[in-house]
Amino acid sequence: MSSADLTTELSEGHAIPRQWIVTGGRVALAVALLLAWEWGSRAFGPLFFAPPLATAERIVEMAGNGKLFTDIVATLRVSVMGFIIGCTCGIGLPFLLRLSPRATEAVEPFIMASQGIPKYALTPWLILWFGIGDAPKVIVVTLFVFYITFITVFAGIRGVDQRLVNMARIIGASERTIARKVIWISLLPFFFTGLKIALPRAVSAAIVGEFLVAVEGVGFSIERARQLSDTTGVFAGIVVAVALVLIINVAVNALERRAMKWRPTDRDMQL
Amino acid sequence: MTAPLMLDIKNLGKRFPARAGREPPPWIIQDMSFSVGAGELLTIVGPSGAGKSTLLNIIAQIETASAGEIVFDGERITGADQRALHPGLNRRIGYVTQDDNLLPWRTTIDNVLFPLEVQGTLDAAARVRAQELIDAVGLSGFERYYPHELSGGMRKRAALIRTLVYDPPMILMDEPFAAVDAQTRTQLQEDLLRLWSLKRKTIIFVTHDITEAIALGDRALVLTRRPAHIAADHPIPIPRPRNVKDIFTMPGFASIYERIRADVQ
Repeated sequence: MSSADLTTELSEGHAIPRQWIVTGGRVALAVALLLAWEWGSRAFGPLFFAPPLATAERIVEMAGNGKLFTDIVATLRVSVMGFIIGCTCGIGLPFLLRLSPRATEAVEPFIMASQGIPKYALTPWLILWFGIGDAPKVIVVTLFVFYITFITVFAGIRGVDQRLVNMARIIGASERTIARKVIWISLLPFFFTGLKIALPRAVSAAIVGEFLVAVEGVGFSIERARQLSDTTGVFAGIVVAVALVLIINVAVNALERRAMKWRPTDRDMQL
Repeated sequence: MTAPLMLDIKNLGKRFPARAGREPPPWIIQDMSFSVGAGELLTIVGPSGAGKSTLLNIIAQIETASAGEIVFDGERITGADQRALHPGLNRRIGYVTQDDNLLPWRTTIDNVLFPLEVQGTLDAAARVRAQELIDAVGLSGFERYYPHELSGGMRKRAALIRTLVYDPPMILMDEPFAAVDAQTRTQLQEDLLRLWSLKRKTIIFVTHDITEAIALGDRALVLTRRPAHIAADHPIPIPRPRNVKDIFTMPGFASIYERIRADVQ
């Protein structure tokens, strides 16, 4: 056997079982979770634990009569609007503060302190101000997303290699160009970490907001089902919410891989 | 000196500002004066920590001076105010730093084109020029590689031609070849001399390696320990073109080496 054969065999002998173990492990975990769920429904009765099958049937039914679609659209509308506003402020503010270290020192403690305000507790007050439309929910989502992106982007800007910034200045780059082509790309790893925390939070915040005030949406459906003691409806809503977050996560991961394909660590950290 | 002056430094001093309630920190550079003619390749030798990088940072205008005067190309550029500095003074002062400072998310070609991109001068002719430089330093075939996929010597070459590509009349070089092995260093020095003989830039090349200072320079300045000032100014009497690899066999090498070494110590 030549050394080339040996090399091929070694790498193959490594790669395939690894992939099998990961996929197999995932399938096994999913099956275990479903079994536990089924066991729960038998042990506690359908009032406390809706059976998986009934939940699945309910979701199919909701998909059939269009309820699923309108709920998801309503929840996503609130989450996405809040996300965009929160993200814009959470990215824009640290970049503005970068221009003035003194303003940063003055403003930073206020931002950090205001983070301690329980955001859900603001909702009743926001309803007083903005009524029962989307606005109070969008504001709550915005607050959640803003703090997470602000903190991660702020840390990212502080962590930028100053030598790269100096290099860019010397070759004649404007501060705007430096912000866009050096600092922004340097802090992408921080930003994506923030994004992975912020996006599920945005959806959760929208759903909680819908518990309190809504006429449609995933959270609204869960809350109404609870009022009718329709446990299957509650479970169907939760499953839809989880699925939404999972799909968003897959999208963010794909975006991250695309944006940071240059990173040498990706190869080593891959599962 | 027959050539017109490119850079004239008079009584330059540098120390970092005092913290509140403390003694002012000692001078890093004190009463330093020298000048560089247009098209000259000046080397500066000095012990580690002598303030060589600080000197280049001040000339490149990324750090302020605390005393003295710098005249670049007839224009007084000294600034004591950080915000009044013009880093790279309108792209006329290039700076090849000790670290290559390549952008890790850009490939070789995109790093080399980066100055042209930010300066808004990236056109087809500029791309051709960049490719010529890449070929000239032997980076052909590695255009689409990221910095972490290149060897140390290749990264140095990429950093060097990133500065050459936008053609600044003066280039500062801060021990650019210090971190590579001896063989690669000789190769890089030969590349540099070849490129310099074509373009005749004014170059200030800082190093702690006496042989390198002799092999490259028209003139070698010797810096003292802190606070740094000029201890000696030696013209290098070895004719060009020089053979970097065998520079120590050239007549005159031994005596100039001995004199510089005595001054460094």
